[in-house]
Amino acid sequence: MSLVMSFTVKNLLPATICSIRSNFPSSIHKYSTGPSKTSSNVLDHLTDWETLSKNRKTSKAMKAYLERAKEHDEFMKRQHLEFNIGKRHLANMMGEDPETFTQKDVDRAIEYLFPSGIYDPAARPLMKPPEEVFPARKAAEFDEAGRPHHFLFYTGKPSFFKVLYDAAEHIQALNKFEDKVIRKKATPDPNGSLKLEGSVWLTKEQLEQSLVESIKEIEYENFKVVMERLVSSPYAYLCKDFIEKYRKPLAMQRFALEIPKPSYDEEGRAFITTYECLRKKARGEVTIRYPGSGKISINGKDITYFEDIQPREQVMFPLIFSGMQNSVDVECHIEGGGPSGQAGAIRWGIAWSLRSFVEKDMLEKMQVAGLLTRDHRRRERKKPGQPGARKKPTWKKR
Amino acid sequence: MNFNSRFLNKKLCNYHFRNCIRWFVVQNRLYAKATSFPDFFQNPIFRKEDQAKLIENSELAKLAAVPVRPPASYETCSVYHDPLVNKVINHVMEMGKKQLARSLVEKAFENIKRIQIERYHLAQTQEEKNKIELNPKSILYNAVENCKPLLQLSPIKRGGITYQVPGPITEKRSLFLSIKWLLEATNDKERTVHFPEQFAWELLDAANNTGKVVKRKQDLHRQCEANRAYAHYRWQ
Amino acid sequence: MFSRNWRVLSRAYSQAVTFRTSEISPQHQNDKQIGLFYTLKQDTCKELFSNGGLPKSFMKQTKTFTETTLMIRQPALDLINCIKSTDFNKPVIRYVLYGEKGCGKSLTMAHMIHYAYEDGYLIVHVPWVSEWLRRVPRHKEMSNSQTREGLVDLPLDAAAWLIHFKSQNQTLLKSSDLKISKEYVWSKREKTESGAPLSELVEHGIARIKYACDVIDALISEIKILSNNKQCKTFVAIDGFNSFFYPLTRLNTPTKKKVKPDEVTLTKSFLELTKNDWNNGIILLSADQLAVPDENQDSYFPRYLLRKQGFEYLDPFVPIEVGRYSDKEFLSCASYYRDRLWLRGPPEIETELKFTSACNPFKFMEQCAPL
Repeated sequence: MSLVMSFTVKNLLPATICSIRSNFPSSIHKYSTGPSKTSSNVLDHLTDWETLSKNRKTSKAMKAYLERAKEHDEFMKRQHLEFNIGKRHLANMMGEDPETFTQKDVDRAIEYLFPSGIYDPAARPLMKPPEEVFPARKAAEFDEAGRPHHFLFYTGKPSFFKVLYDAAEHIQALNKFEDKVIRKKATPDPNGSLKLEGSVWLTKEQLEQSLVESIKEIEYENFKVVMERLVSSPYAYLCKDFIEKYRKPLAMQRFALEIPKPSYDEEGRAFITTYECLRKKARGEVTIRYPGSGKISINGKDITYFEDIQPREQVMFPLIFSGMQNSVDVECHIEGGGPSGQAGAIRWGIAWSLRSFVEKDMLEKMQVAGLLTRDHRRRERKKPGQPGARKKPTWKKR
Repeated sequence: MNFNSRFLNKKLCNYHFRNCIRWFVVQNRLYAKATSFPDFFQNPIFRKEDQAKLIENSELAKLAAVPVRPPASYETCSVYHDPLVNKVINHVMEMGKKQLARSLVEKAFENIKRIQIERYHLAQTQEEKNKIELNPKSILYNAVENCKPLLQLSPIKRGGITYQVPGPITEKRSLFLSIKWLLEATNDKERTVHFPEQFAWELLDAANNTGKVVKRKQDLHRQCEANRAYAHYRWQ
Repeated sequence: MFSRNWRVLSRAYSQAVTFRTSEISPQHQNDKQIGLFYTLKQDTCKELFSNGGLPKSFMKQTKTFTETTLMIRQPALDLINCIKSTDFNKPVIRYVLYGEKGCGKSLTMAHMIHYAYEDGYLIVHVPWVSEWLRRVPRHKEMSNSQTREGLVDLPLDAAAWLIHFKSQNQTLLKSSDLKISKEYVWSKREKTESGAPLSELVEHGIARIKYACDVIDALISEIKILSNNKQCKTFVAIDGFNSFFYPLTRLNTPTKKKVKPDEVTLTKSFLELTKNDWNNGIILLSADQLAVPDENQDSYFPRYLLRKQGFEYLDPFVPIEVGRYSDKEFLSCASYYRDRLWLRGPPEIETELKFTSACNPFKFMEQCAPL
């Protein structure tokens, strides 16, 4: 009967055998809740066994991770401390108050103490808080059991693909919404619309930084395509927050903000001088007097200073565009560069000076025509090993 | 003491940012200064007609808030400027000598004008006079239009034999071929004839649908027609 | 409504014709006609300018426009007034035209030649001095002068000039009142006797190229004598006079030595002519930047172009500046070009062209070309 009992017991409660067996190692005592052999306890013991075995296998990885995380935290703390101490020392060195020493002051001080002739600003000496210097690390991606938190962990780039997944979901949701609206025969809300002119999508580097993951070119292009598709829907304003996260606002154009007031010379004519008219290697200044009769003088000479027709057309461009060719006098001094560069510098100078004498809508037109943008392009340097700036020696297959 | 502390401070600072540099993310830029405007800069719109269109659509204010590239050094809002003429000048240009190329093309236009005015004065009736086109730019437009091929032949290799298969052609490529053929025909000239005169003759012929270049285009079309049996090779 | 149509029509008519004037004789042109164009008759043109005198680009334009027209401008009118009030008993007055490149000096000279022709002057016109001294295609026919030691002759050029002289003064020479006073012996068998008509001298020079330079010498001395004797009044016009004073020419002797302008017989002859030791004549010269090489083209003023030697030689002279177009002249020229189908397009082109060409006549013409 005991055999039968044991048999039935075995069949019914195979766990009991395990539990009996498992009672042997002493460490298990800490997992068992008590000396009870009820079914729930048995189940607990069951899970305890699995996790125990798993923990034995994965504890090394988790342990290593925890260790690394702890090390990193400690490292960061140390760096913080050093940075703060260093900042205070720097403030003392510069003779300023350590309490009110901002990051800008730090930058200025470093530039003063360690002047560098290196081109690349990234290669020059710098002193920044450790968060900006050291790359961000990801938080724990899997728990103690080794199960990943993120459902896309096994793609290798979970955050990035989550973004695409969210975008796809939004697109589908918007499509459904649009269908509903069409069925109800309503129109989209004209007030709600996205304003995307003053912003661009995050660049690849910025996206990488925000997601703490490296992204390939193809993947970035894909991201842009998906977001454009999302934005092209007429109801995209519903997902405004999601989209705003991945848009970077551009600096507002300052062409209209600080228009200088003209000063008055002896004859009572208003005039404006623009200094620092640059284009390539040409440097100069342009003075516009109003009211005038359309006289031009460049370095003392007439417009015949330029012998070719193209520079003359360039000088004429802003005047004719704004219609002021007979109502202002232009006087300029330039040196350096060649005819084209000098003409470009004068063109910008005239347009910039004309801002004070012209109406607001003409200002906007000039801005759209690009007359007010400073051309900061310079000649690209020739690299060693190549015949030119971009030209490479003949490509040989082998 | 001061000296020590300064030395120590320097050491500390050195230590801190030497470490920083090692860990800093390397930027992909190879040149300290940017060599061209970033992608988000818009192209400028400076012609009076284009701007008038914008004002109609009331988009001017929106575009004014966005950064805009400056117009190139050969672009003006004056009536002089014409994109097709500029393209032709660029194709004529060699070694970056834009001045010379521009003067050659302008002399060619001058020659066209003189020839056409002569014909105008020789024509007897008013109808004939009205038919003669006096504006060199419109003659250029007509010439380039008449020389544009509609198909092109691409060599496709099947089974060891290279077939010339007719296929579609993009607008840009068609325009490019037209200008290139015109210039090639002009450069096949006698030694004593100058480029502007020869170019003027070629343009006038092409505008009339006669001459070498139009013949070349028609030969190409005939070849395409003859080879239309191979057209399916494009998709094999 | 009818009146409005009439007004529109008349305005259009007046606009259409404001750039022309029907006064084709320079003698009767006055201040009211500044900026207007007048047409030269075809045969006058052929007589006066078939061998030079008008700039090459202008000749091309005459062919395209199928007519030769000149614009009446202030410097020309000033000159005409001066000439009308000169006292011909005093020694000759020298006028020097100067101005920037392409402002119209040669055309003003052409205008004056037309005036002289109408008024019955004997015209001595050198179209472009640099043609002789600086235009050396590959080999210039030069020979050593026989009458003067060490000097160089330019026989072909001299003969060409004599043909030009003959064609300009056809009517005067045919009337054959002008006779030579001396006898000229060219060689054993050839000589021109005193009392022979001037045309015979000229013919001889054209026929016998070898003696052409000497013929020119003789001709010039004869003209001086004739003017002094009041038998004819002379109008001397020399374009590009300053190239006589530039240190070098482009000529090379057979020994590859550079020739100075002083060593050319033609220089001597014309310098002789422009001395103010005779009367009953007008001398009109022009100092042009194009007559000297590019390095020395810094300024267009006569003091610079004529150099010390030339300035002292010509002193005293009356300088006359030929300037750019004024607004009225510019508009008139633009409407003329439109009429001749040379300039087409919207009216805004005119403001732009005014700016870019800076109202320089030549540049304006050039820039209208491709439009």
